[in-house]
Amino acid sequence: MKNRIEEMRSSRGIRQDELAAELGVSRQTISSLENGRYNPSIMLAHRIAEYFGMTIEEIFIFGEE
Amino acid sequence: MYNNKRLMLSIFWIVLGAVLIALSVMEKLDSSTYSAMGGVLIAIGALQTIRNLRYRRDTEYRKKIDTEVNDERNRFLSMKSWSWTGYIVVLVEGIGVVVAMIAGQQTLQHILAYSVCLIVVVYWITYLILSRKY
Repeated sequence: MKNRIEEMRSSRGIRQDELAAELGVSRQTISSLENGRYNPSIMLAHRIAEYFGMTIEEIFIFGEE
Repeated sequence: MYNNKRLMLSIFWIVLGAVLIALSVMEKLDSSTYSAMGGVLIAIGALQTIRNLRYRRDTEYRKKIDTEVNDERNRFLSMKSWSWTGYIVVLVEGIGVVVAMIAGQQTLQHILAYSVCLIVVVYWITYLILSRKY
């Protein structure tokens, strides 16, 4: 599953560790999410979408591996 | 993460270690293994106590530990690692059974075979419990 986390984060000028602290996860988790190595739980996906003020579908592109 | 139970456990390790060393020194236990074990227990207990106290006093450290413990990717990795460990142990023991059989080590062969059976039974029970829970 692809996502637009890096794009959203960069466009807002937020560092990975800052985003991680806001979401209550480790910086490595953000890195893995951005690289597509790790797919988040629905709870984390919801928190990410909520943080960026978007819907889950707008950030996560389902069906693409 | 660190609570009073953990602190009590850390102190218990230190006391147990001290008792083992004392018994070794008084020659109630006739092996240096026990004094070494006592030293290791004291070291583990002391380390856990220091971490516990730091967790209580240092807000930044507490936040870091809480993030590490609650991080879903870390939990995922931990579960995956245990899963792989289980598979590898069963596989190695299975190979060990065959090797022990070829080498004529019947006792070892039985121990390994029973161990594989035990793991499979435990897996089956945990699967049954988890399937009712989720």
